[in-house]
Amino acid sequence: MAKIIVVTSGKGGVGKTTSAAAISTGLALRGKKTVVIDFDVGLRNLDLIMGCERRVVYDLVNVIQGEAGLNQALIRDKRVENLFILPASQTRDKDALTQEGVERILEQLKQDFDFILCDSPAGIERGAQLAMYFADEAIVVTNPEVSSVRDSDRILGLLGSKTRRAEQSLDPVKEHLLITRYNPSRVTSGDMLTLDDIREILSVDLLGLIPESEAVLRASNQGVPVTHDAASDAGQAYSDTVSRLLGEDMPLRFHEVQRRGLLNRMFGGGRR
Amino acid sequence: MSLNANSADIAFTFKGGMLPMTVMELSSADPEQIRSQLAGKLSQSPAFFQHTPVVLSVEKLDEPHLALERICAVCRDHKLLPVAVRGGAEPVRQSAWALGLGWFAPVEEGRARLLESVGPAAVSEDAVEEVDAADQEMVAVATRLFRGTVRSGQQVSASEGDLVVIGAVNAGAEVLAAGSIHVYGALRGRALAGIHGNTQAGIYCRELEAELLSVAGNYKRLEDIDSQLLGRATEVHFTQEQLEIKPLG
Repeated sequence: MAKIIVVTSGKGGVGKTTSAAAISTGLALRGKKTVVIDFDVGLRNLDLIMGCERRVVYDLVNVIQGEAGLNQALIRDKRVENLFILPASQTRDKDALTQEGVERILEQLKQDFDFILCDSPAGIERGAQLAMYFADEAIVVTNPEVSSVRDSDRILGLLGSKTRRAEQSLDPVKEHLLITRYNPSRVTSGDMLTLDDIREILSVDLLGLIPESEAVLRASNQGVPVTHDAASDAGQAYSDTVSRLLGEDMPLRFHEVQRRGLLNRMFGGGRR
Repeated sequence: MSLNANSADIAFTFKGGMLPMTVMELSSADPEQIRSQLAGKLSQSPAFFQHTPVVLSVEKLDEPHLALERICAVCRDHKLLPVAVRGGAEPVRQSAWALGLGWFAPVEEGRARLLESVGPAAVSEDAVEEVDAADQEMVAVATRLFRGTVRSGQQVSASEGDLVVIGAVNAGAEVLAAGSIHVYGALRGRALAGIHGNTQAGIYCRELEAELLSVAGNYKRLEDIDSQLLGRATEVHFTQEQLEIKPLG
């Protein structure tokens, strides 16, 4: 049975779409048949991050309104087998989404896929609520910054009350914390919240920690999910995150300031 | 069968009960002065003024005649419902009845002191039993237990009794109780105890970081709290007309 996972945060610009792209790519690389859906109707971005913007014909809203079939709208990823993208519409707004329409599409996708990732828009309005409503699990993306933590806290509250699992008193949505843009040296200097601060406030299990990295920006602009950049710290951190999502036990990396050795300093030692 | 038939015939039963009740202790008989003070309170804690029943206590007033009708009208204007008058001379009692209000005898000095300071050593057997009965009634008023984190944007309230939170109350969250609030975790949001005016209510928490603390509408903001107390286990009470925050234990 397919698992529906929402990637959400409340606050915008914390790395939801980057994370949805990276995690879905990672799942597909492990042989899991995965589809990632862009729920950000009106502000379509996922197709850019996934590098498939030139192949979009139909979108989520077309399928919901019966103007296209699901298979016509699904875009097959060129790099990884087993990975599909369902893009959002750029010309409509979020009112074009209906709960019945979303449910119908998810039920249909469940027949074919192992994982369905829903990339939520920012905010707590209709678009975000529909993206999370049918979720089995949630990845809450948080930056080490007070406003992001507060918004994540708000989203966690909604996951516990405004989802199908909550309304029908089923097992609650399984919540995961994903901290992105973590910069250990700025944490040490007090500019950023520490990992422990965030975990204590949100009290949710940590799924992964992604260091602030140039590799992420590069990946976004090239339209290649950062998971493909296996040499980069962020790529490795997302790969660890995917392993944990699949139930493996991985030690935490990239949360401490790296001391660079003499040789490392002389020869520049690896890309960031 | 006969039992059922009987119970169907019964229109009502009388039952003794102890209900929490706000007493409005008047220290002025001037309706306009009362009005202006009420207006100030209303803006501070609108939640309190929801057709809240009050008993007007005139014990401290030394006036045989009162403009009771006008005082009641001022109260109703501010969504307080006077249900009875306590104390006062014979004319006060007569005008209370004329207005459809109940009348209570003034609280005797000794008994009042007894109820306030629960010192069982010096009290008679009879009185101890009364205090116990009152305690049991309060327990029956249902403490609300919340397990988990109260998250930003969430509101958890106990509209009749105490509220116990086993977990943290995060910034942007709000916890309210008619009685006391106990937080076994960090209190980072807003906590409002005694929302129906119970000044005996308290707030207790493991770690104080609260945005706002209020007991019976008397509040302190995070800014007003002594920074020495932040992060510590604390208790909050309303004493001597102000909020007192002190380390727990």
